[in-house]
Amino acid sequence: MKKFLALLLALAMLFTLAACTKTETKDPDDDQGEENNNQTEGWVPTEPINVIVAYKAGSGTDTTARLLVQGTYASKYFNDQTFVVDNQEAGAGTVGWQALADADPDGYTIGFVNLPNFSTSITDGNVDYTVDSFAPICNHVTETSLVLVAANDDRFNTLEDLVNYGKENPGKLMASTNGDHNSNHIGAQMFANSAEFTYTAIPYGGTADQLLALRQNEADFSVAKVADIASCASEVKVLGVFNTERIAEYPDVPTLGELGYYDQWLGSSRCIVAPAGTPQEIIDYYENAFQQLMADPDYLEAASSITTDFKNAADTGALIKSQQTYAEGLADIWG
Amino acid sequence: MLETLGLMGAGFLHALTPINILAMAASTAIGIIIGCLPGLSAAMGVALLLPMTFTMSADTGLIVLGGIYCGAIFGGSISAILIHTPGTPASAATAIEGYQMTLKGQAGRALATACYASFWGGLLSCISLYFFAPLLAQLAMQFKSPEYFWLSLFGLTIIAGVSSKSLLKGLMSGALGLVLSTIGADPLAGVPRFMFGQNSLYEGINTTCALIGLFSMSQALILAETAIKQRAKAAKVKDKLMIGREDIKRITPTILRSWIIGNVIGILPGAGASIACFMGYNSAQQFSKHKEEFGHGAIEGVAGSEAANNAVTGGSLIPMLTLGIPGESVTAVLMGGLIIQGLTPGPDLFVGETAKMTYTFFAGFVLIQFFMLAIGLIGCKGFAKISRLSDAILIPCIVVLCVVGSYAIRKNMIDVIVMMIFGGLGYFMRKFDLNTAAVVLALILGPIGERGLRRSLLLSGGDISILFSSVICWVLIALCVFGILSPILMNKMEARSIAKAGGDMDADEMFTEDHVDYDSDHIE
Repeated sequence: MKKFLALLLALAMLFTLAACTKTETKDPDDDQGEENNNQTEGWVPTEPINVIVAYKAGSGTDTTARLLVQGTYASKYFNDQTFVVDNQEAGAGTVGWQALADADPDGYTIGFVNLPNFSTSITDGNVDYTVDSFAPICNHVTETSLVLVAANDDRFNTLEDLVNYGKENPGKLMASTNGDHNSNHIGAQMFANSAEFTYTAIPYGGTADQLLALRQNEADFSVAKVADIASCASEVKVLGVFNTERIAEYPDVPTLGELGYYDQWLGSSRCIVAPAGTPQEIIDYYENAFQQLMADPDYLEAASSITTDFKNAADTGALIKSQQTYAEGLADIWG
Repeated sequence: MLETLGLMGAGFLHALTPINILAMAASTAIGIIIGCLPGLSAAMGVALLLPMTFTMSADTGLIVLGGIYCGAIFGGSISAILIHTPGTPASAATAIEGYQMTLKGQAGRALATACYASFWGGLLSCISLYFFAPLLAQLAMQFKSPEYFWLSLFGLTIIAGVSSKSLLKGLMSGALGLVLSTIGADPLAGVPRFMFGQNSLYEGINTTCALIGLFSMSQALILAETAIKQRAKAAKVKDKLMIGREDIKRITPTILRSWIIGNVIGILPGAGASIACFMGYNSAQQFSKHKEEFGHGAIEGVAGSEAANNAVTGGSLIPMLTLGIPGESVTAVLMGGLIIQGLTPGPDLFVGETAKMTYTFFAGFVLIQFFMLAIGLIGCKGFAKISRLSDAILIPCIVVLCVVGSYAIRKNMIDVIVMMIFGGLGYFMRKFDLNTAAVVLALILGPIGERGLRRSLLLSGGDISILFSSVICWVLIALCVFGILSPILMNKMEARSIAKAGGDMDADEMFTEDHVDYDSDHIE
């Protein structure tokens, strides 16, 4: 009996071990990887591919990443290899991105970086990686920022209502943000600066809490991205769009630029990158394969709720660079 | 209304997939095994096995956690009845009559009663889960920053008070937890605090790692310290595992009373299954027609205690799910599991896509009770032998699971170090009779309170009157005052319950050194 029990417990432990090795980083010094590294001409993956997602399972980035690489439609574009999503969520993204930068550039580790959070993590200066630690592959998702108020807030029906109130009552408007100097705070600040009013930013831990505060009328307005408000669309009013032209989701909502405020695109992007030093052939392979995958009808059907926006490696590199310049310039906006 | 009924029905359909049924059976059995091992509490079991659920789909993962929770609370009664050693503190009161019945050769009847009472206690507690949770979730919509500040304060007062025999030590433990909760990025401005250059500490100390360290690792240390000693031999179950129609008739009123007691106690943050079992036992004695049997193996005593502690399970989920405030350590761990599976506690639990998952979890919780009944009745004899498992096997297993578990949460070595540090901390805290559960709850409640306070003051421009601006605020303030006073009341009530439980039963004796648990210390 005792032996049986010991066996049972040992099995339980093995099960736990197996459960966590399932998503473990694969051994980068694998022979086959080396082999392929040396002869990258016509490179194809021959093993499962490790995808580092720097946010936890179930987060926005994780959901879209899994939608892309773990659907049944994905592996046929990658020599029938599967993707292993590796969530390394500590440190607000920085731990995962560091791991990605440090990974062997053998083509078996790629990952997602989130702009502009990735850019601000570099300008904040607590990390060892730079833009040059990564080789861009392509862009996956682009989301545009919106100006929002609560649906039951009768004071504000247009963006001008909000701006006029802000000008007449300096500092009285409360904006909920997803964290101090985080993406949605940047949006609110850009809007207020360009419309020349002052407000008070109240940081909430994340986008969900930020929007809850708006729905509870604790905050007067908010800036958030299109996909963020999917779950509470009936409880908020969209007053303005951060883009150069109106967007398909909200054709009746004016852009900020139309009204004479901030006239550039603002939002977030999720790009696929590899560690710097990954051979060009491998980058080209992934760029091409992801382009096909993002045009796959089954994928597009599954991903109907997100804004898939393929950009090639060169454009993605330029986007990352421009966001970096933009993030460095942000130091001036806080006034 | 119809929509809600539809969601409830769909929940059962989702919960009844083959993989989920398998998960229920396996997790309930594992829970019972953990429960009947003296020294391993429900919180520890859930914390240890939580990382295993990460790779499962959300509904299966949640069902597994529920199964372990319910199974462990019931499992504690097996060793309580057979070897007079409650497997978890929640079964302390079961040992009183249960062991007497064993001595009379009625071990089978006692086990069957415990199983039957646990089943009904758990099942009935689901009623309140279905009806009160959505109501409270609607109320949670009214909770803004000032209310969250008071709510966390209320949670802290009641935790610090109720779960320790000395108010001072409880408060000390809570204060230590609050200090530790300041580690990580400042929740408002993002300024790093006490991070020692570790980006992994940005989100603060990982609560699950702290829990594994405080409850499981420290338990392994304590077990290892008291040289591997002989455990009591479990009595053989000679009679049939059966409960007669007469018995059922006799214990039905007791079960109903205990259900209400357990449910109310479960909903109150701070009071847990270990208090409920004594109150259930006490009321069973008060209303019994066979008072003379108490102390010599009264079946109502077993039923009263077991129905009450299992009725706590459903109730205790309510404040955790709706307000994000776990009332005790098991629900604190469960909350970690829910969040990882994408079920964020709060008013949004009962709308849209999330509602499907919430109701699947509820349905799973109902079905788990049936598995508990079946597995309990069939497997009691086998589980009884497990309670004699040698520490030489147990200790290494716990240590391995602690390390693997804390690593698996985020695949981060820093978390393992944090777990080890908390293991050492937990060991010394127990030695000094401090309260480890208060540390964990302060770790969770501290940031909620800090955010609530600082956000309120930002909103009001520094005017503290915002903290007293709503009815809910005043209700919570009143509850805080009650929370501070309640330990005194609770102590009196408990002392009375235990005194009535029979003079020959010295509660200290039941808790030998090797299973000093986080809330065993208020049983005196």
